[in-house]
Amino acid sequence: MRSSRHKRKMLNYIIRRLFFVLFVVWGVSLATFFISQVVPGDPALAALGDKATDEMIAIFRVKNGLDQPVVTQYFSYLGRLLQGDLGTSLRTGRPISDDLRDFFPGTLELAGAALLIAALIGIPAGVLAALNQNKAPDLIVRLLALLGGATPIYWLAILLLEFLHNKLRLLPGPGRLDAYLIAPPRVTGFVGLDSIIAGDWQVFGDSLMHLILPAFVLGAFSSALLARMTRAAMLETMSQDYIRTARAKGIAQSRVVVKHALRNAFLPVLTVLGGVLGGLLSGAVLTETIFSWPGVGRYTTDAAISLDFPAVMGVTLLAGIAYSIINLVTDLLYALFDPRIMYA
Amino acid sequence: MRKRIGAAALLSIGLLAVGVAQNSRSSTLVYGGDFSDLISLDPGISYEFSGGLITDNLYETLVKFEGEDLSTLKPSIAARWTVKDAGSSWKVTFNLANKKFASGNPVTAADVVYTFDRAIALKGNGSFLFDEVANMKIGSTKALGKSTVEVTLPKTASPAAFLNLLTFNIGGIVDSVLVKTKAVGNDYGSEWLKRNSAGSGSYSLNRWDQNQQVILDANPNSSLKPKLSRIILREMKEANTQKIALESGEIDIAENLTPDMVKAKATDSKFNVYKADSLRLQYLGMNTGAGSVFEDARVRQAVRWAVDQDSIVNVLAGGNARKVQTIIPAGLFGFNPSNPYSVNVEKAKGLLAAAGKPNGFEFEMLVPQGSCAAGVPCADLAAKIQSDLGKIGLKANIKQIVQSELLGIYRAQKAQMVIVGWSPDFPDPDGNATPMSDYGAKSLAWRNAWNSPAAGKLAQQAALETNSTKRAALYKQLTELHLEEGPFAILYQPKVPVTLSTTVKGYLRNAQGQVRFEKISK
Repeated sequence: MRSSRHKRKMLNYIIRRLFFVLFVVWGVSLATFFISQVVPGDPALAALGDKATDEMIAIFRVKNGLDQPVVTQYFSYLGRLLQGDLGTSLRTGRPISDDLRDFFPGTLELAGAALLIAALIGIPAGVLAALNQNKAPDLIVRLLALLGGATPIYWLAILLLEFLHNKLRLLPGPGRLDAYLIAPPRVTGFVGLDSIIAGDWQVFGDSLMHLILPAFVLGAFSSALLARMTRAAMLETMSQDYIRTARAKGIAQSRVVVKHALRNAFLPVLTVLGGVLGGLLSGAVLTETIFSWPGVGRYTTDAAISLDFPAVMGVTLLAGIAYSIINLVTDLLYALFDPRIMYA
Repeated sequence: MRKRIGAAALLSIGLLAVGVAQNSRSSTLVYGGDFSDLISLDPGISYEFSGGLITDNLYETLVKFEGEDLSTLKPSIAARWTVKDAGSSWKVTFNLANKKFASGNPVTAADVVYTFDRAIALKGNGSFLFDEVANMKIGSTKALGKSTVEVTLPKTASPAAFLNLLTFNIGGIVDSVLVKTKAVGNDYGSEWLKRNSAGSGSYSLNRWDQNQQVILDANPNSSLKPKLSRIILREMKEANTQKIALESGEIDIAENLTPDMVKAKATDSKFNVYKADSLRLQYLGMNTGAGSVFEDARVRQAVRWAVDQDSIVNVLAGGNARKVQTIIPAGLFGFNPSNPYSVNVEKAKGLLAAAGKPNGFEFEMLVPQGSCAAGVPCADLAAKIQSDLGKIGLKANIKQIVQSELLGIYRAQKAQMVIVGWSPDFPDPDGNATPMSDYGAKSLAWRNAWNSPAAGKLAQQAALETNSTKRAALYKQLTELHLEEGPFAILYQPKVPVTLSTTVKGYLRNAQGQVRFEKISK
C-alpha cells in the first residue's frame, strides 16, 4: 500500500521535474538569444564573406529573418522551437536538428567511453587511497590525481598520439575509423553499434581501437576528480560508528568496504559523476579537434567562429536538456542508493 | 592435422587481407587537411576552398589551366573556342570534344546550357561571377547543334574574364540528363548534388562523411585516366594532428602544418615540401576620404616607404610569402614585378612634411583576430607595422576585432586603416583591378573612399580589351598609377606550403588552389 503510494509520488515528482526542464530550456533560449544579439560582428557578412554584394547581404538577412526587430526574431524563434524546429544553420545551410543528429552520437560515444574509463580508474583508485591513508598507495593516487587534474588535455593528447600511435604503433591515430575502412550504413549514428548491425566486425574492432586514446584523454581529468572525491567520501564514511560496529561484528573487510562504506560514500561521488558526464558532453571540444572526431564540440566551435547563432543556440539547448536530465537521473539514483531519501 | 590446415587457411586469409590492404594503400592517396568549410559538393553552389578542391576533380570545365600556369587557357570539354565582336555584343562559341560523364551519358551542348542557366538560377555564393561579372542571364547560353555552344555577352562584360572564370568550379559541366531526374521542385537537383556527383571529371564521389572524410573513386569513363584508384580527403583541423598522421603514414599529404613544422620537414628525407603560389594579397588599406589623415597621396607614399616588407616576408612569414607591391598578384596576366619602395625613413618623413604633417599623426588601425595570410598572426603583423610607422612619426592605435565586424566597418567607409586580405574570384587581373580601382564598383576602392576616375577608366578599358599586348600595357599603366597614388600598401603575397610523403609523385597546385588528382601517383 505504502509502496504504491510511494511510486505514485515518485511519478508525480518525475513529471514535475520534467516540466521544470521546459523552464530551463526557455531560460537557456532566452539567455543564448540575447547574448547572440550583443556579440559583435555581422552574421550575414560572416556567412557570405568579403565579396558579398549589398543585394546578397539583404537577401540573406530577409531569408534568415535578421531584418526583423530583435523581439520579433525571438518570438518567431520560440514559436518554431515549440514545434520542434531548431531552425537552419547559417553556415551549413542544413536544419540544425539534422546537423545535431549527425554529430551528437559521436560526442555521446566519446563521452560515454570517457566516463566509463574515468569511473573504472577514478573510483577504485579513490577507494584504494582511502583504505591506505597516508601510505604509499594513497600518496601515489594523490600524486596521479594531482597530475591528472593539472595536465592540459591538449598536451596529453599530442603526447599520447606521438608515443602510442606514431612511435610504438600500439593504437590507431586520429579519426573515428581507419581511412581505408568504409563506415557501415548509418542506422544509429554510433559507428560501433552500426557495425554490429551490419555484421562488420573489422570495422567494429577498428572503431573500438580508435575510441581508446580520445576517451582516455577526455576521461583523464574526470578520473582524477573522481579519485579525489571517492577518497574523501570514503575516508569520512570509514570513520563512522556503523563501520566500527560492522567491523566489531566480525564482518569481512571486503564486505565492510563494498557494502557498508562504498555504498554510503557513493552519494557525493554520484553527484560528481553526473556533473562529469555533463561536462564531458559539452566540453569535448579540444579532444574532438585533436583527434579529428566528428562531434558536437567541433560543430559548436565552427558555428561560433562563423557567428552561426541558430546552431550555437541549438547546441546550447541540447546541452541544457542533457544537463537537466542528467541531474534528474542523478537525483533518482540517490533514492536507489539511500532508501532514506524519498521524493514527494 | 585439421587444426594445421585451419591455421594455414587463416594465415593465408590474413596474408591475403594484408596484401589487399597494401595494394589498396599503394593505389590510394590520403590527403589530410582542414576541410571543415565544406558545405556542398554541387559545383553550382560550392564557393568554399574545400568544395573547389574536390569539385575541380569531379567535374570538367569548358576550358582549363594546366600545371601552375594561370595565363594560358587550354582545351578541356571545349576542343576549340572563338570570341567574336558581334557589334552590340560578344559571341563566344565553343566546339565540344567527345567526352562522357561518369554515368556513361555523352557530354553535349545541352549539358552546357543547363549548367550555366542552373548556376544563375540557383543564386549560390559564386553565381555573381556569371550574372554580375560576365553579365549573363538565363538564356545567354544557346546550343547550336549537339556539340556547339554559343554564349552571348553584353559589351559591358570582359570576354577574357569570362573565359578565365569558366575555370572556376561554377563552370563545371553537370550531367543534365541525370541531374534532372534528381530534381525536386525548383532545386535543379541541388539537394542531391550536395552529396553526389554527376560530372566527367577524373573522379566520382563515393561518399562524404561530414567532418570526417570525402572518398573519391576513379571515374572509368573519364578521358583524363587517373593514376590512383581512390583519393581520400581526411579532415584534420589541427596542425599537430596532421604532423603526427603524416609521420605515421596515415596521411600522404598535410596541408596545414605550421611554418616551424614545414621548416623541419623540409630537411627530412622522408618528406618533400611544395610551396604553392596563391593569388591572395595581404594589404594595408588607407581611407583617402575628404578630411582623412590619409587623404594626401604623399602620406600614403610615406606609409609605403616606412613598411619593412623584407622583414615581414622573411621573418614573420618565415619565407612562405613573396614580396610584391603592385595590385595584380604574381602568376596572373598583367602582373607588374616592380618593387620601387624599400625602407627609407628620411624620404617618408620628407613626404609627410610636404603633405603638411611634419609631426605625424595618430590614427586607428583595424586588424582581424586570428591568423592573416601565410599563417602570420594578425596581431604580430599589426605590431610590426605599428613599429615601422612609429619610426616616421605615425602613431597607430591597434584595434583587433572579429573579421565580420571589421568588414562591416570597412564596407561602410568608416575605417581609417585596415590590415586585410583579398583574393580575386577568378584568375584574371580584372578580379583585382576593378575592385581595387573602380570607385563605382563599390568594392575596395570605394571602401577606402578612393575615387580616381583615371584608375577606374583604365581598369574598365583593360577588362574589355581583347588584344593581349594592349591589355598588358593598360595593366602596366594602372599598376603604376596605384604605386603612386593608390590607397593600398601591399604587404605580401603568401605561399601555401604543402608537405608530402616522398612516395607521392605528380602533385601540383596552382595559385588558384586547384590540384589535379589524376596526375598524382604513389
